[in-house]
Amino acid sequence: MKNIDEQVKKALMDQTSAANQMEPEIWSRLEDELFAEPKPADKKVKKMKKKIIPLFIAAAAGILIAFSFQTETGMALIDRIKEMFVPEKEVVQSIEGMEEETNVQLNEGKDAEYVIYIDEDRYKMIRGEGDKPDVITTKEELPEQYPEVSMTIEQIPGTAPDALASQYEEELKQEFPDLRPIEKVTEPVEGYQLHGIKNGGMEWDDEVVHAYVISNGQEGSFVITERYFLEAAEGHGARFYAMLQEFHIVD
Amino acid sequence: MNHKKSLDKHSFQELYKEHANFAIRSAMVITRNPELAKDAVQETFIRVYRNFSSYDANLPFEPWLYRILVNECNRLLKKEGNMRSYPQPNLENDERLSTSSDGNAADLIEAIQNLEDLYRIPLILKYIKGFSEKEISDILELNQNTVKSRLYKGRQNLRQLLEMTEQEAYLNEKHR
Repeated sequence: MKNIDEQVKKALMDQTSAANQMEPEIWSRLEDELFAEPKPADKKVKKMKKKIIPLFIAAAAGILIAFSFQTETGMALIDRIKEMFVPEKEVVQSIEGMEEETNVQLNEGKDAEYVIYIDEDRYKMIRGEGDKPDVITTKEELPEQYPEVSMTIEQIPGTAPDALASQYEEELKQEFPDLRPIEKVTEPVEGYQLHGIKNGGMEWDDEVVHAYVISNGQEGSFVITERYFLEAAEGHGARFYAMLQEFHIVD
Repeated sequence: MNHKKSLDKHSFQELYKEHANFAIRSAMVITRNPELAKDAVQETFIRVYRNFSSYDANLPFEPWLYRILVNECNRLLKKEGNMRSYPQPNLENDERLSTSSDGNAADLIEAIQNLEDLYRIPLILKYIKGFSEKEISDILELNQNTVKSRLYKGRQNLRQLLEMTEQEAYLNEKHR
């Protein structure tokens, strides 16, 4: 057997000797990925963006003002939103251990009940019609092999967060039997957190649910449900977290 | 090498130089595909660089590195499609993988690549990097006795496959 061990080891080492040539190539890719200075073109784009922002703000303010003349309620709500929130801002978020500057845009939830800042280069908000909740999902549809990536925001006016969290826990357990016990959290929003992974989280595409049940500021609740997959936890999961840090209920 | 909690470019390059060669070799055999191996090693070192603060410096570094590497190889294989549908002859036909292949070496490679992953991956870790049973159990997050048994069965299967190949070659020669 010892002889076989030595022969196999030698055969594997001989057969993979191209590793020596691949080593510098991979290092070069790593250098580009991790240490490359931003190209001059990138800097130009960034500068241009800064100039564009005031124009965008002016345009957005114009649209908001035009809308605000339509109804009294609309006018009051929009005035409040205008006072509190800028239409676009730059946030720093930590994605896969790296700090990333991202421009995020103000989005108004269903019936102007809340606002949230969304990175519109990557995500879009589909406002729910009728009883349907608002859904934030990837701007480009993901290829078929990827599980769903979305964040659903729904207001349940008649049920307090503690009661709703327990109800929701039972509901999610049907789909995610290993759902973790409910946790109270203060970040990114203050309320109850539910978290579950399918199949024990062994594979890159195991589905993840991450939900919050929070107070709507009155008698009811908001339920925020993120769905993504294990490998996307540090990407989409972190971006949803950053978006929720900019989630505000409009009183 | 002393692994600090955060890495500057120089320390990261040193770490890469120290570990890249065997990592690439292992990835080449695990994925059976040099291009995929490059991606897996690149992703592994990116993860090492970005998540170095989460590495517990009291534990040996290599099992941590290879745990990430094996996971990356499996992830990329799965992403590319079905692991089983990967063309096995890659390893023998790709010139980057066959600088010196006498018949016996090719048989050995074929035999090891024909093993189930259950046995193949522990054997690759053992033969290429010389990891101990304890280290392999850390990398694959398995019980040490399970690794011991898989290595034993893997080597038995390997020997059987080799004997069958030799017998076939003998019969072919005889009937010529």
